[in-house]
Amino acid sequence: MPGTNLIVPVVLWGKHAPSHCVSSVYLSRDQKTLVTGCYDGQICIWQVNPDTLKMTPRCLLVGHTAPVTCLSRASIIQDNNYIVSSSEAGEMCTWDLVDGKCRESVKLTQVHTNIQAYHMCNSEDLRLFCNGYYAEILIMDPFSLEILFCLSSKMNPDWISALHVLRPSSRKDDVVLAISITGTVKVWSLLGHENKQSEPIYENESKQIRCLNALSLNCCAYNQRTVLVVCAKYCQIYDAGDFSVLCSIQAPSGERWMSGDFLATDRVLVWSTEGKGYLYKLPANSVPDHKGFHGPTVEHDSPVLFGILAHPDNKLLSCPPAMRFVTTSVGGKQRRLLLRGDSHGVVSVWSVDDAATPVPNQLPSHAPIVMTSLDMAWAEMNPSPVGILDQLSHTDEQEIKLTASIYLLAANRLVVGREDGSIVIVNATHTVQLQLLHGGHQQLDDWPPHQLLLGHNGRVNCLLYPHHVHPRYDRSHLVSGGIDFAVCLWDLFSGALLHRFCVHAGEITQLIVPPHNCSTRIQKCICSVASDHSVTLLSLTERKCVTLASRHLFPVVSIKWRPADDFMVVGCSDGTVYVWQMETGHLDRVLHGMIAEEVLSACDETVADELGGALAAGAGDLQGLANPAVHFFRGLRHRNLTAMRAATARGLAALAGAGGAAGAGPLAEPPRARRAPLTVQGFRSNPTDPESHILFFDIEGLIVELLSEEYSAMSPASLEAAGLITSEYMKVAALTQSASPDAAKRISDFFGRVKDKAGDMERILKEKDKHGILAKMKEGAETMQTKLQAKAEQLKGNVEHKGKCLV
Amino acid sequence: MNDNEKEEAANLKEEFEWVLREEVHAILHQLHSVLVECAHRFPVPLYGNEGQKQDKFILTSQPEQLKCIVTLTGDSITHADISFKVLRQMHSICRTSINQDGPWKLQQIQDAANHLQQAIGYIDNVDKHYVFRSSEEVLHIIQCLLGSLQRARTALVLPKKKAIDELMKSRNMKALSPNLPEDLAISFYIQSHKLIFVAYQLSSVHGTMRIDSCQADCAVPWLSDVLFMLTAALHMCQQLKDKLCVFSQYKDFTVGSRSASMVFN
Repeated sequence: MPGTNLIVPVVLWGKHAPSHCVSSVYLSRDQKTLVTGCYDGQICIWQVNPDTLKMTPRCLLVGHTAPVTCLSRASIIQDNNYIVSSSEAGEMCTWDLVDGKCRESVKLTQVHTNIQAYHMCNSEDLRLFCNGYYAEILIMDPFSLEILFCLSSKMNPDWISALHVLRPSSRKDDVVLAISITGTVKVWSLLGHENKQSEPIYENESKQIRCLNALSLNCCAYNQRTVLVVCAKYCQIYDAGDFSVLCSIQAPSGERWMSGDFLATDRVLVWSTEGKGYLYKLPANSVPDHKGFHGPTVEHDSPVLFGILAHPDNKLLSCPPAMRFVTTSVGGKQRRLLLRGDSHGVVSVWSVDDAATPVPNQLPSHAPIVMTSLDMAWAEMNPSPVGILDQLSHTDEQEIKLTASIYLLAANRLVVGREDGSIVIVNATHTVQLQLLHGGHQQLDDWPPHQLLLGHNGRVNCLLYPHHVHPRYDRSHLVSGGIDFAVCLWDLFSGALLHRFCVHAGEITQLIVPPHNCSTRIQKCICSVASDHSVTLLSLTERKCVTLASRHLFPVVSIKWRPADDFMVVGCSDGTVYVWQMETGHLDRVLHGMIAEEVLSACDETVADELGGALAAGAGDLQGLANPAVHFFRGLRHRNLTAMRAATARGLAALAGAGGAAGAGPLAEPPRARRAPLTVQGFRSNPTDPESHILFFDIEGLIVELLSEEYSAMSPASLEAAGLITSEYMKVAALTQSASPDAAKRISDFFGRVKDKAGDMERILKEKDKHGILAKMKEGAETMQTKLQAKAEQLKGNVEHKGKCLV
Repeated sequence: MNDNEKEEAANLKEEFEWVLREEVHAILHQLHSVLVECAHRFPVPLYGNEGQKQDKFILTSQPEQLKCIVTLTGDSITHADISFKVLRQMHSICRTSINQDGPWKLQQIQDAANHLQQAIGYIDNVDKHYVFRSSEEVLHIIQCLLGSLQRARTALVLPKKKAIDELMKSRNMKALSPNLPEDLAISFYIQSHKLIFVAYQLSSVHGTMRIDSCQADCAVPWLSDVLFMLTAALHMCQQLKDKLCVFSQYKDFTVGSRSASMVFN
């Protein structure tokens, strides 16, 4: 029953800040929140002091699987706490900045490269104007993430490379100005009543200009007469009236332009791939108020560079930084800022107002007014954020980074692989206690005791405890894979290295357990994947490699199984699928394109088949039909809503039928014992980072465990003395009898109901309160299982800092 | 570290500097020529390729179900004569055509061409004399290249699925002359090296909608070439990436950290 129990995640970040190569940046209008998206898909929320602009990282939002390309506000309301993010994989999310929850998410086939949030006439809130790798302009709702309507082109339809929405001062309607990648400028006027059903909306005007692959297009906000179009090699000022070029500015040598905007009618700010901002004064023929406007270019009157916004240290960047020009308003005072987030995760802010007035005969270089990064925030903390194995590192020597970890639930042990090749096994509760709680135990030396497994030469990349996945494996077997190309089999209890499999020709990246219905020989194997794109099946009992699948040209991204046919299906990053016979190691076939996709999804269908089969067995009257899960997946793939609906209805009926019967299908609630009060999960944002750890405290499980422990320890006499042997006590005792699964279920049901009610109420409130005024008043911990969400609170307070490193 | 390990590390480092200095540029150059060659196979104006090439294809299905004669100009079908058997009425044949005024645009070709153009752009952005100083720099470019090439290939290999009502409302369908009756729809798309024509016939059986379809395809020669070159380029990128990843375990390797390498800066 995921979702009904209250789970509190606590993050132990460790001494190293997660790497954060910034791909997009955003600052709220009230200067209270800065948001950065990175190439690894995480989004970091920074709390900003509106007066000093001091920034403190507050939350790391996890959810995107690809670089975050766009960030945008979701509402016109100043203190609204929602943002929309979009990634290179087409995922879009709406996030609540207060608690970090993902409120809505979709995956589109269209990938955006740019989003402008704009308040249209006749609409109550913002609309997102999106362009990207598709030939239309999509207008989306930021809260429902639905496509409301789209703008199409009649003339030379092609991808839109930049757009700008504005409302001309003399008119009531909105105008979308856009340029296609082949250089066709287009204008649409919107009246505000467009919708999905209306006829295709074509451009009102279009003109071909000589400008390929524009990066940004901005109409001057002060006169709406001139337009700045930025391309990589040059940027140009156009007359909005007839789209003729007025002047052009070359990019500095060795740099490319990224984007730019107007500061005044006669001044522009353009920034480059080196992360520098350049301020130019425009010549007279490009300034509408001037009498020479639209005249021919006059000699000696060309754009004049009058200021540079740059970093004092010119640190080498591994990719162009993300930059954004924003106008904020705090206490009625407007400020113009240039933001920059770079590949080292450094965020810097320039005050553009300070630099906006030219000083004759001078070319001042302005330094950022604020510079910060996750690394700096980490370094500022004293003591630094705790890691889960801090007791093993000593201040005088270099810390050994943690690189892999698994938590053994039944034994309550944490197994951690490290950069130097050692594997540490330690009691999880003890080590957590040491990091989070103060007490006498912190003075003890060498506590808690740990076991050390030495065998890898270099970083341990992955760990697997097969017995956890299926009881057919030996209880004592632990498997690890390392950078030294070796897979090691360990005896968990004695700590002995049982075997070293050296069959791969690259570092081991992943260890997987094959499904339980494979042939008996394969059942005793585990599957390992290496960076040379090879996959092997290693028999733990025979101590040898059963199958070596090593013809893959591209990295392995998915492994699926067809146990009935003895097939292992390997999907690669280029979309190719390799079908291997497990027993013989024979490559059965190689598939490309559509067939490859279909074979991969057919593997899911066979899994669903087993699931559905178990369901159908419970419901006699439905047995005649094929199983509902398969139909559901098919419906999903072919986008057949009726089929999906019918399949779901049948599935639910089958479930209801099965619920009455005693037989527990694979969907039945897991046995009580698996509900652990504590689980530990390793986490990292980038594969090269050391691991941080998330502790999940199941509050319900904790309470049940504590109560039953306490009451079972009391003697009848002490119980009587405490006045506990009353009818009330009997009730509690009955409830906490862990022997009776029924009672335990009642407790969890009760908690579930309370939680559900609270959840319902919250949802209702949120629906009414779109602009999130109430959301700010929200308090308390949230269940966060599906969206792995982790927040770190600033650990400034010295004494209780250890207990607070979460939510 | 003992002496052997030190020597190995020193050798690896030298090799790493060589890769950054020579190998990366050599591979990028090679990739560039493959991609430009690929761009020239496209029938649309792309990277110095001016031509709007024209091809004629005949698509038929075996038991004389449908027949379609197509003229493909650039990324659009500029002319087509289409006829197919209607299932619900025996011996009735539906005829329609596409003409110059309302061409059927194959968005897949434009998408692939644009992604390819973007990929070439990433290489063009690198100056031939630029000295790479870290593997991250190169890996970032390779990652961008891999992304663009993958998207270009996917655009051709995996056509986007459209709902039938979306297809019926589409601009392409509306440009047919004469227009098709409400229960019929046609579609053209690219799948790998083939141009595919499908005719859909909707019927209602006991209240639920039923869609019958019949299709015909033909091979488009330039598509095979394009796909082959995209795959080759992808493979080259991946190999360069794998090569650099080997050095990534030696994190402190950056060009310039050793005095001898300063010569090249």
